[in-house]
Parts: sequence; structure tokens; C-alpha cells
Amino acid sequence: MLLRGAYRDFAGRSRLNVEATTVGEALERAIEACPALRERVRDEHGRLREHLNIFANDEDIRRLNGERTALREGDIVHLIPAISGG
Amino acid sequence: MKRGVAIMVGTKKGAYVLRSSKTRTRWVQEGPLFAGEPVFHMSFDHRDGESMFAACNNTWGGPKVQVSRDQGKTWTVASNPAYPEGHRNTFRRTWHIEPGHAKTPNVVWAGVAPAGLFKSTDRGMTWEPVLSLIDHPTSDQWSPGGAGETALHSIAVDAGDPKRIAIAISAGGAYLSEDGGKSWRPWNEGTRAEFQPNPEPEVGQCVHHMVSHPEKGGEFFQRNHHRVYFRNAEQKHWEDRQEGLPTNFGFAGTVDPHDPDTAYVIPLDERLRLAPTPGIAVWRTNDRGKTWKRTDRGLPKGAQLEVMREGIATDRLDPVGIYFGTVSGDVWGSADGGKNYERVAAYLPPILSVSTATIE
Repeated sequence: MLLRGAYRDFAGRSRLNVEATTVGEALERAIEACPALRERVRDEHGRLREHLNIFANDEDIRRLNGERTALREGDIVHLIPAISGG
Repeated sequence: MKRGVAIMVGTKKGAYVLRSSKTRTRWVQEGPLFAGEPVFHMSFDHRDGESMFAACNNTWGGPKVQVSRDQGKTWTVASNPAYPEGHRNTFRRTWHIEPGHAKTPNVVWAGVAPAGLFKSTDRGMTWEPVLSLIDHPTSDQWSPGGAGETALHSIAVDAGDPKRIAIAISAGGAYLSEDGGKSWRPWNEGTRAEFQPNPEPEVGQCVHHMVSHPEKGGEFFQRNHHRVYFRNAEQKHWEDRQEGLPTNFGFAGTVDPHDPDTAYVIPLDERLRLAPTPGIAVWRTNDRGKTWKRTDRGLPKGAQLEVMREGIATDRLDPVGIYFGTVSGDVWGSADGGKNYERVAAYLPPILSVSTATIE
């Protein structure tokens, strides 16, 4: 998993190696490794925050299967702050 | 910190703290804290003399409440306010953090958006929703204010009664609890909502800012969308004290800590949201709003500045210090009760809030 911008700061690192079969599992493994990420990634109802883009390799998971998007060994999950403004 | 005053300035891009001795003639600027994060409000806990709270509302990664136990030298992230599982609301932003009554030293209150009140019993580290207010039978009549969301932005604890707490919501009006927050009733008698077909509804008024007097029990003051009101908790109605102000609009207002009949407001033009001609001024009443006087000595002549709802505050010294921050990034202060103003900080990001700590 590669963390960019503010998410790199929240986790205190830019890269995490996790074992997971879906994007949702990968996020949970990342949160276990970096608990400070939990409230930065999800709201109190467990939903992903609005201004966070997650990519599985080169594809936005919104265009795939969301958190259920399947992962294979070697896949890269990107956590990237959404660009706001002009 | 040595004895003196700290002005806590929340901006669109972080927070700043301006510190001075009791003379308040020279200010040392610290910051930005929480760089890049919109800081809607900060507060100081005069009960313990050390705690500070900051309402940080970062777009990326969500909002955070930050707590300091050493007068702002170091900060710790608290647990977020959170609505219960299955609740219709999802916590989006903290608008105001208010230390509780002196007799409940561990209690701190937070007002959030979507409109809700949260209570901490561990000095701000964890928060519980006050569902008796959040799910009040009239809550379906709250509508988004100018900020585009419902928000609970004012929390006024009665200095004389730890169980009496008033809050205000945009646009939901004011509510009062007299049992420490267990139950609430609308508290808008006599106030107007001129943007509604019925201009005197039970709830739904657009309160812009409401405070209680920090020393004298039972005294409340509110800057409403169109009017200014005083009320003693024993009164049946709010007293309309708008007459004498140059416009019928504004956001910022506060009371004098030494005199419950003295208050300060910064009127704005309703359409432009800027100070009207002849420019920025603090208007003061010494007689509970029966008369108002413009004070502007030292302020820039003709400047059409904007000041937001948390934009004015006083310290607790005598003579009282009055401070306000502008959207154009300047902090103006008076150390002599408003006779003379001078700029105490310049070129900050747009200022969202000004609050003070008087360190004894």
C-alpha cells in the first residue's frame, strides 16, 4: 500500500506491506498497523471519508467493486487525498 | 506561561496564539498550529488554568478535536465526537468547544455539524452525544444555515447554575436545559425569524452567536440574524435591543466580563457581509442595549472588513481587553475597554475565530 500526501503524514510512513484478498481487508490491515489512520479513513459509521481516493493499481475502486475489489499478490493499493478546488 | 493574556486565533489554514503580559502592549505570535487545517474555534479552560481545545476541521482525513494540557505548548488528538451506530447523522465538523461550569470541572461541551451537542466528562478526550437534544421532537424543523449545513455553534453555560445550559443552532434557534442537559426546550420567545412565513416560530430562528455572562448568573446575550437580544433566565422573553445599531445584521458579538449590561457587536451589511460605510467599528452598549455607541479609534478608516461569528472576544482583565479578527487576516485589539484599538497581528489566513485565555 502506498500512502500519499496527508495520508502519509497520518500514518507516519509512505509504504505498508499487507496481506489481504480485498481492498477492504487491506485497509483493515493498514489500520491495525497504524491505528491513527482509522478515523482518517472512515467516519463513525465505518464509511470511507469523502475526500479520499483509493486506487487498486491504476483503477479508482469506485469504478471497480469498492472495498470488495479483489487483490492479488503484488497489487498496489494507493491512498490519495482527493484534489479539491481549482 | 507567565501571567498575561493569550489570544487564540483560528484561521482557514491553521491556528495562531498571540501572547502578551498583562500590559498587553507587545504581542508574540506563535504558529501556525495544525498548519493547513481550518480551525473553527479554540477555547481555554479557566477552571484548570492549563487546558486548551481546538476544533480542527481538516478536509482530508476528517475533523479532529485537539487538546492541550500545558497552555498550548503541546497538543494531543482526542477521540472524535461520533453519532451512534445507525443514527441519521454523521459527524462532519466541530464548530464550538465550551468548558463546563466551575462546579463540574471535568465537563466540556462540543457543538458540531450536523447540528448536535456532545458532552465530555474527561476534559475533552472522549465525547458522548446528547441525544435528548439531537433527537428533540422539533429537530426536523432545523434547516441549514448560510454555511450550508445545520450546526450547533453556541454553548452558553450559566455561571450561576451548573444545570442551566443554553445552546443555539443555525438555523434551529436556541434551546435551554435546566437539568444539566437531560432535557431541552425551545428558548426563542420574543425572537424573530423574518425569513420564514411565520416570523415568530417556536424554533428555526437563525441565531448567529449566543453567550452567557462569565461571572453573573442567569444573563444571556445573542446576536441573531436580524436582531440583537438580551435575556435573563427568569424573563419570559428575549429583549430586542437592535435599535440604535447601523444595520440589522452581523455575526460577532460578546459581553463584557465585568458588567452584564455591557456588550460589543460588529454590525455588517446584510447583502455584502462587510462592515457598512464608514467602515469597521465595534459598537458598545453600557445599558443593556438601550443605546449603542460606535467605537473605532485606531481602526482603519473606511475599511469594509468582515468578521465572522466567533470573531470577537474579551479577556478578563480590568480594563477589559477587546479583540477581533477579520476575514482579511488581521487581529485588532484594545487594552483599554475599546477606547483605542491597534493591530496586534497582520497578514494571517482568513480568521474564523478569536478567543482568549487570561492566565492568572
